[in-house]
Parts: sequence; structure tokens; C-alpha cells
Amino acid sequence: MSLLKDASLPAVTAGFVAVLISYAGPLAIFFQAAQSAEISPQMMSSWVWAISIGAAVSGIGLSLWLRVPVVTAWSAPGTALLVTLFPELSLNEAVGAYLTAALIVFAVGVSGSFDRIVALIPPGIAAAMMAGILFQFGVGVFTAMEGAPALALGMLTAYLVFKRLFPRYFLVLLLMVGIVLAVGLEGASLAGVSWQLATPQVIRPEWTLHATLSLALPLALVSLTGQFLPGMAILRGAGYHTQARPILTVTGLVSLPMALFGGITTVVAAITAALCTGKAAHPDPGKRYTAGVANGIFYLLGALFSGSIVLLFTSLPVTFVALLAGLALIGAITSNLSAAAAEKQHLEASIITFLVTASGMSLLGLGSAFWGVVIGCAAYLILHRPFVLLRGASAAVDKQ
Amino acid sequence: MKHIEKGAGLATAPRDFIRDLNADNLSAGVVAGIFGLSAGVIHISAGTAAGLPQEFTLLWVISYLMINGLFGLFLPAYYRLPLPMANSIPGALLFAAIIPIVGLNEALGATLIAGAIALVVGLAGWMSLVMRLIPMPIVMGMVAGILLKFGTNMVMPLQNALVPATIMILSFFFAARYLRRVPPLVVTLLVGVGYMALSGADFSSVTFTFKLPEFIMPAFTLEAFLAYGLPLALILVGMETPAGVGLVKGMGYKSAPANAITALGGFGTMVSAFFNLHSTCIAAPMTGICSGPEAGSHDKRWVAAVIVGIIFVTAAPFYGFVFSLIEAMPSYFIAIIAGLALLRVISSAMHMTFSGKHEVGAMFSFLIAVSGIQIFGIGSSFWALVLGAGLSMLVEFRDFDFSRESRSSRGEAAAAR
Repeated sequence: MSLLKDASLPAVTAGFVAVLISYAGPLAIFFQAAQSAEISPQMMSSWVWAISIGAAVSGIGLSLWLRVPVVTAWSAPGTALLVTLFPELSLNEAVGAYLTAALIVFAVGVSGSFDRIVALIPPGIAAAMMAGILFQFGVGVFTAMEGAPALALGMLTAYLVFKRLFPRYFLVLLLMVGIVLAVGLEGASLAGVSWQLATPQVIRPEWTLHATLSLALPLALVSLTGQFLPGMAILRGAGYHTQARPILTVTGLVSLPMALFGGITTVVAAITAALCTGKAAHPDPGKRYTAGVANGIFYLLGALFSGSIVLLFTSLPVTFVALLAGLALIGAITSNLSAAAAEKQHLEASIITFLVTASGMSLLGLGSAFWGVVIGCAAYLILHRPFVLLRGASAAVDKQ
Repeated sequence: MKHIEKGAGLATAPRDFIRDLNADNLSAGVVAGIFGLSAGVIHISAGTAAGLPQEFTLLWVISYLMINGLFGLFLPAYYRLPLPMANSIPGALLFAAIIPIVGLNEALGATLIAGAIALVVGLAGWMSLVMRLIPMPIVMGMVAGILLKFGTNMVMPLQNALVPATIMILSFFFAARYLRRVPPLVVTLLVGVGYMALSGADFSSVTFTFKLPEFIMPAFTLEAFLAYGLPLALILVGMETPAGVGLVKGMGYKSAPANAITALGGFGTMVSAFFNLHSTCIAAPMTGICSGPEAGSHDKRWVAAVIVGIIFVTAAPFYGFVFSLIEAMPSYFIAIIAGLALLRVISSAMHMTFSGKHEVGAMFSFLIAVSGIQIFGIGSSFWALVLGAGLSMLVEFRDFDFSRESRSSRGEAAAAR
């Protein structure tokens, strides 16, 4: 079997670290969403099971099929959206919205117009909305300082040291140091953590207009701009001229059954992809796909023991989860704010998008991410563009 | 005084003023003056947000126009350059926020010290040194963090006052796009007041009053200095002066007197401290209006800046009218006006925060300022600057101008050229 022949220890390690990082950082946000939805640990382990299986199946399948290291994960900005929408949003509505978002991703994949659709959204506005969604997590790091100053300062210091010395593995190291600090300083007890297999639970989907506008559309949008766009850019930057079509189609399809178990949309990884696509995974680019497969296999293991993962997170203090999520996202917040603020052409519209999204306002039952894009695009049209939505118009603007 | 630049002098200024006055610089001066008057709304909003008594906020705005206006008569006339004076908006927000914590007299004491620092920096010609120690992205991160709340407060009224909020915000956007000579904020104010009048707001409390600045004695505490005086000094020296000087130079006035502007602003700020006011400095947005091509022939644009001063000084005692008009409006009205007034400031602050260098330090400075945390009783603005600069030295030392790597890379760049 060529897979075993092509595999190497660095490739397997890269896949393992990518999974570990996903569980260390982005999972903390999903966990915060679960806390605001006030669900049981059993339900949470079903969620973790579903996102892990989704990432495993799509990652292994795509890597083997395309012979490219495709690393998949769940939509991290999507989980950030959830934190503000729960508990007003019911679980059934959320699952309905997951399904809709998965269908949108699938449709965009089948149509083959991913690059064109992404180009339609002014780049500053997409980045500003992302920044607005993630922003509260970053501020949370510092508000945590008043409640648990020792833990916050310790983790902040660890973050800076690791970020400087081991930028690749900082999240995993941060998780370990954080757990030690939480046990030592906050008196958290890990006694309840045991090996526990997952018990998937089916949630009946329910479709409402409110959930479609507040969750499904923003979820599809942030998944396309916040995960698929950077994820594809990383793949292409590493020299793989892969089409977006098969990747979007497969992840969209895999997301559908997983949604029924509470798994949010499966997407191309943005945070961890670079670990598996670079030279460090395998010197031969034609064999790096094994890192993608390894990544998927470790996700399968994670899915199997998702009960234990949830137990670990529930036995740690809420502040710890908030700190971990915030520190994991600071890089993403910075790069999105930079992208939003660097666009001199439509700076005001981008800033308005950020302000509206970060304000956490809601109107007609719709969340701030939706209004951020709507108001931002309105500002963009009024302030920065002639009233022509055709492509040729942008050339005219450039000439002015 | 060797660092203070020489100017044309004041002796012939009144005669030259009349000689150089023309339609272009008159209209630019009026536009900038109206812009300055409408900026008083930001002070009122900041005062309301901090829960300060109305009488104080009114005195504050009157001092702003009167004292800043007097200095604004002198500086452009002496140098014959378009250098209008006003006060620091980020400084105003800091000032209003710190008064409930340290007390008014103590805040003014910190203002006095901040002014003295700016005066010394200007007299000694140390501008460039200060700029290197605390880099601009980190200062701007702090500023953007303080301003952010006003931006998010602007959109909150959409939740429960949808119609007036939409009308006001849209009128601002359209005016910004299509009415180049009228400040969009003035349009929004008129549209907003018009809407309120039509929907039956109660204007019975609107009154004409005449009031002059009042003297007050500053007091000194370390706490007030750290949380407010030091950040204010940095804002004055590190941000307001460079922004103003940069604008004037960009318009082709090569001889802009950076040290004199800093020193006079410092002296003006010291005077301000005795009259309930937090600063005197060059006003970047108005400088843009007065020094731009719309102000007519290049060597006569200084007249526009003097006109701003005249408008300020004349309007100051009567500002109670505007004040009572705004007070008669619902509270969301002022939140929207203030947010729109600050939109450009927030935008450019965020642009400068995330301009590339000192990324980590700037981000932390921004987040700390937004979080509003207090450690050891010292406000977040101080920690934003100190922790921002400290972390930046740890993580991205090469971004500092004085780091060796930065120097050698600059050397390489020069060699490549």
C-alpha cells in the first residue's frame, strides 16, 4: 500500500500537532458556545464527536483522493457566532441553520464560482466582520484579569514566551501550562476526567427565518471568507494548484449528516493547515498528503474519546476557557483588523462593519454579524462607490 | 529658545489679514470654524457618558472655544501659516472619564503637568526622541481603544430608535459623499433636530445664555498623573503635533514649526488647566480644511486659521444655546452625533494602529484600552501604553527605531537605493 510507504514520522507528527492545536484553541470557543447554550456534557460530547468525525472523514477522503495535504476542521468563526446567539436560539434551530449553511457551501462548490463570489465582497468588510465576531474573545482576556489575575497573568506570560520561542506549538504548550496553573491557582480538580467513549445524540432540525438570517447566512459567509479563503490560499501558497470545487463539495456534503449530531460546518482548516502543507511535514510535496491523512486519523481518535475531552474542559474553570479562547484568537483578530484597517479605499465602511458587529446589537431578532455586513455594505455603496454594481465600475473608481 | 522657529511676527498681522482676506480662505475658515463648534458635541457626549454635572460640561466647552480660540488667533498670525488651534479629542475623552475617579481639580493638576511636559519637549527640541520610545501604533491603539465605545454606542440606538437613527446616519453618509463644502456633521445635526421638531420634541428648555470661562485651582496627585496626565502628554506630543505638522507639510508648507507648535500647545495646556479645560493643541481636522487647496492661494491660507480663532472666541460665550438644544434631545441623539463625529477619527486611529509595525504591542494596547481594566487604581489608558510598549520590546524589538536590526536593515535599504 503506497500510503504506508509514503508516510513518514514528521508527516504523522504534523497531523497529530494540527489536531492537538485544534482541540487546544478553537475547541475552547465551541465550548464557550456550549456553556451559553446551557447543554449537558453528554450533548457537548456529541457535538465534539460530530465535528471530529466531519473533519476526519473529509480530511482523509480529500487527502487520499487529491493526493494533497487537505487539513479540515470545523468553522472557528462560526462557533464564535454561536456564543452570542445562544440561548435565545434553540438547538433545533441551530441544527437547521447548520444544514442550510452546509448546503450553501455545497452549492458554491458545485457551481465552481467560489473565487468569484469571494471577490464580490469588499475585502475590508469581510475582514472587519470577522474581527468584530472574534473581538469579544480578545477583550475577554483582559476582563478576566480582574476576576482571576494570577491565572490571567500567568497564561498571558506563557502565551508571550511560547509565541516568541515556539510559535508553531504555542497553543499546545499554552494549554498544558494553563491546566497546571488552573489546578495550582484556581483549585480546579481533574479527578473526574476518565476515559469515556462518545454517545452521539440526534437533534431534530428546525428551520426558521430568524435562524437562517442570524446564523446560517453569516455562518456560510464566515466559513467561506474566514476558513476556505485563507485555507485555499495556504494550499496554493505551498504550491498545490488544487481546485476549490472538490474541497467545498466534499466538506459541504460531510457537514450535512454531522449537523444532525450538533456538529457545526466542516471547513478547510486555516489555523493549522500550514503545519501539514509545509516542508516540515515531508520534504517531498507529492507525499505530504500523508500528513493530511494522519491528521484525519487523529481526529477519529479524538471523536472516539470526545467524552473525555469534554470532561477535561468541564472540570476547568470558566475563566480558563475564556483565556484560552481569547489568546488562541489574538492572532486572528490582529490579522483581520489589519486587513480591515489597511484598506484605505473603503476604510470608513470597514470600520462601521467592525463597530456594528462588535457592538453586539440585535434588531428584528437578527444578530450583529448580519447587520454589520448589511450596514457596512450600505456605507460602502454610499460613501465609496458609484451606484454601479458592475465589475467595470471599479476600474473607473481607480482612475479617479 | 534656540529650537523655537522664527515667524513673520505680529506687528503687521492685522493689516496683512485684511490685505490677504478673500472669498476662498474666508469660506474655508467658516467651514473649519463650524466643524470646531460642532466638535463641542463630543465634549458634551463624553461628559454625559461620565456622568459629569451639566454646568461643568458647559463651562468646559466654553473654555475650549475661548482659550483655544485665543491661541488660535496668535499662532497662525505669527507664522502666517494655516495652523488652527483647538484641543485634543482623545484627551477630552480621557479627561471626562478620569474626573469621576480622581476628581476635577486633580485631573486639572495632571493637565498642568502634561502641558509643562509638552512645553519642555518643544523648547528642548526633543520631539523625535519621544516618538521613538513609544511608537505611534501603540499610542494609536490606546486612542482607538478609548474611542471604540463611542463608535459602538452610535449603532446601539438602531435597536430601539430605528427610524431617527437610520435617518441621521444616512444623512451623514450622503452629506459626506455629495456635499463637499458642508461638514456632514452639521447636516446630520440639522436633520436630527428637524426630525425631533416634527415628531414633537419639547424645546421649551432651549435658552440663550451668556457665560465666560471660570478660574479653578488645580491639585496634584500621582494617581491622576499616571492614569491621565502621562497619556495626555503622550497624546499631545506624540500624536496631535505630528498629525497637524504632517498635514501642513503635506500641503506644501515645508517650514511648519514643529517645536513651536508643541511648546505653544504645552503653554496653552498649562493655561487651560486653570479654566476647566484639558488641552490646547493644533487641530488636525481643521488644519486639513484650512491648509487645503479649497482655502485658495497658498500664501494666504493662514487667514482661514485666524478666522477659525475669531469664530471660536465670538461664539464661546453663547454656546449655552447649542448646549441646551442638545440637552433637549433624547439621549440616543447625542450618542449618534458623537459616534458620527468620531467616525473618521476612529477610522484613522485604527488605520495607524494596524499599519504593520509593532503589531503585537498595538493589538494589546488596543485590547487593554477597550477592556477598561484598572490595576492598582490606575486606569487602562496607562496600562495600554506601558504594557503595549513593554510587550512590543519583548516580542518585536526589531520594530523599534533604535534596535540594531532595524538600523542595519535601514542601512541595507539605503545601500540598495
